[in-house]
Amino acid sequence: MHLKQSLIIAVTLSVMSIVAWEFFWRSQGFYPTLDDNEALWAMQRQRVEKASSQDVLLMGSSRVLFDIQLNEFQEQTGIRPIQLASVGSSPLPIFHDVVNNTDFKGTIIVGVSPGLFFSTTFPQAQPWKWPQSKVDYYKKRTYAQISNHLLSLPLQENFAFLSDDQGVDGIKLKELLGKIKVGNRVPDPMPPFHEFGEIAVDRNLVMKQITVTDTAYANSVKKVWMFFGKSAPAPDKKSTMAFFLKDLNTFKKRGGHVILVRCPSSGMLKAGEDRFLPRNGFWDTLVKASEVKAYYYEDYEQLKHLECPEWSHLSAKDARYFTTQLVKIMKADGALTNSKTN
Amino acid sequence: MLFNSLSFGVFLVIVLILYYAKLLNWTNKKRMLLFASYVFYGLWNPPLVILLWISTMVDWIAGNKLAVEENKRKRKLWLLMSMFVNLGFLFFFKYRDFLLDNFTAVVNTYGYGYHAQPMNIILPMGISFYTFQTMSYTIDMYLKRSERARTFLDFALYVTFFPQLVAGPIVRAEELVSQFYEEKKATINQFIWGLFLLTIGLFQKVVLADTLLSDTADTVFGSKSILNTLDAWTGTLAFSGQIFFDFAGYSTCAIGISLLLGIILPDNFRYPYGAIGFSDLWRRWHISLSTWLRDYLYIPLGGNKHGVVRMYSALMITMLLGGLWHGAAWTFVIWGALHGIYLVVERMLKNKIHIKIGPYNGILLALLTYTLVNFTWVFFRAREFSIAKNMLSSMLFMHPDGEKLLQSFDIIKIFIIITILFICHYSMRNTSMKAVSLKTPTWVLGVFWAVMVFLIVISQGGGEQFIYFQF
Repeated sequence: MHLKQSLIIAVTLSVMSIVAWEFFWRSQGFYPTLDDNEALWAMQRQRVEKASSQDVLLMGSSRVLFDIQLNEFQEQTGIRPIQLASVGSSPLPIFHDVVNNTDFKGTIIVGVSPGLFFSTTFPQAQPWKWPQSKVDYYKKRTYAQISNHLLSLPLQENFAFLSDDQGVDGIKLKELLGKIKVGNRVPDPMPPFHEFGEIAVDRNLVMKQITVTDTAYANSVKKVWMFFGKSAPAPDKKSTMAFFLKDLNTFKKRGGHVILVRCPSSGMLKAGEDRFLPRNGFWDTLVKASEVKAYYYEDYEQLKHLECPEWSHLSAKDARYFTTQLVKIMKADGALTNSKTN
Repeated sequence: MLFNSLSFGVFLVIVLILYYAKLLNWTNKKRMLLFASYVFYGLWNPPLVILLWISTMVDWIAGNKLAVEENKRKRKLWLLMSMFVNLGFLFFFKYRDFLLDNFTAVVNTYGYGYHAQPMNIILPMGISFYTFQTMSYTIDMYLKRSERARTFLDFALYVTFFPQLVAGPIVRAEELVSQFYEEKKATINQFIWGLFLLTIGLFQKVVLADTLLSDTADTVFGSKSILNTLDAWTGTLAFSGQIFFDFAGYSTCAIGISLLLGIILPDNFRYPYGAIGFSDLWRRWHISLSTWLRDYLYIPLGGNKHGVVRMYSALMITMLLGGLWHGAAWTFVIWGALHGIYLVVERMLKNKIHIKIGPYNGILLALLTYTLVNFTWVFFRAREFSIAKNMLSSMLFMHPDGEKLLQSFDIIKIFIIITILFICHYSMRNTSMKAVSLKTPTWVLGVFWAVMVFLIVISQGGGEQFIYFQF
């Protein structure tokens, strides 16, 4: 056995195969992307510890991530918000964490996607579990995890094959094997789900252009919303509102400001929201009980006609427009009193 | 820090550069290794390094006293002091809530309605491993089986040596401390072999355990339904593979990393699923723990020198405590009890039935052993007795209409992997990886190595923790 030669062969073949793998996935249209994981969220959550009363935090579900663009917000206010929204999540666990575990007393913009905001306070339910897992990760993360994440960022930013996408767009070995189907022993009612956003290190998220240009792509996402809509449990308005209002009062008492925002939705999703979570029964009640500034996109001529390509989120271009207009409205209304430009 | 993480890669490169650069003499290299080991541990939870320091100090002092003290009573007191501190930490951090829960349950059966406040204490990573390692030093000193470490630095490094600190192998002082006395440097072949072992270990962990097997095991054992026989067996087989690849992967990494430094650690696994019988299994599975239990528990309890009843009792106690060592839960106790029963029954049968092992009956007996081992894994993996009960009844064909959870491809995948695993273990029973690699053509080894690296890279797991870190 000649170990040296074996090592040389191994190193040569490994490098060649990994380079070939990278080129293959790039030829298939993949490019380097960051994973919107707990570690990335925790980096933003860390910033809250040193945030001043001038700072703005964003919370909510994916609509806040897609629709409120950090660059445009900063252009309008001079402040770059800290993005803490989490996909498929109720904002309540993260709001609760910031209110109870920090002394932050700036402004928090809370996105209200009715299907998620009013969904549940049950710890094991997905809309609660996902954001709570981020909070727990932040509390318990080790120095090793922090350094791993920091080391992984340049790799994620440069290699397409390191994509952590899941489902039909997944290219990790586990995801590739998961796509192999033999028969249909256990029916999977969940339609295939495409990743349709790209996130940056500061968690500014934009919709992939293919979602706007490829109707079939957008339609595949719509099917997923339909699936979730059909299987969603009944909202728990009483518990969710009580939970939120308790934290809101605590936050207000120490001088913090909260702004509620209802981001756009369209098509059958909007119709479903209007039917099962009507504005007067949910949003209006929440706004009245909260006694904070609140903005519902349909109330503004410049926002009410925005269309979401996959019914739930704005395209990158519309998100930039939406953010600019929304911030202008807030400023005119005196909601953003902490604007550095004022 | 996890071996399967980027930060460990950077850490290892820095350690190797400092180790092989001519900047430091041997004493300073050992100091550097000790400091690196504390960093390795502290990056997980810095305050818990204090436990390591206390454990090191206590056993260093106890060892020194035992080396010179001749008074039997005083020698015993030093031993008890060491055991009190080490086992005290272990009980406090690992078994406190378990004992409290059981106490509460017993008290409440008499209608007291007592509610204990769980402390939710964090379990220091690897505490069971380094506690047993330091205890072996003091016990050996007490029994005058080993010499005391020459310097505090050598002893501290023995307790804290980062490759095997958190999940073994549990190394005896005589195997490791003596290697620190003179400067160690890996030969080129040792270094490359160390890299190869590190690759194999990572391949076992990242590709086989985490990518190919863990999801199936998690899905099946995460279900509270009564499952179909095929799903129950697939989940159990997947876990049997996952736990082996996870733990053996860690040990292989540890041995490989140590070899990069020119330091040799003992084998911890020798193809256990190729074992014929349970005595054979325990000579192959987690060897450093099973020999520890044999030397410091089974033999002191009487071993096989005091009649059959005493021997069977010693076996059962050893396996029950071995089960409890793995985790503070009754499911682990049952796991240990089953292995104890298997060992007792095997010894009883061996006295009555004499089977000559040949190539054909050998594989059947190995398969029987492996099948019985799988029943024990159900208790090891299930978090609740109800899940274990449901799993066992499904595996015993009692629920032909049980719920189907797994897709056909997952079932095929698991059966292929486990069949290959079993055949590999059986065919490697009487040989070693080193011996096989010596017979393997250079280019085949190179290609095999490259394939492993490629699969590790494209699996790029999320840095899953090793299962044994929790023990």
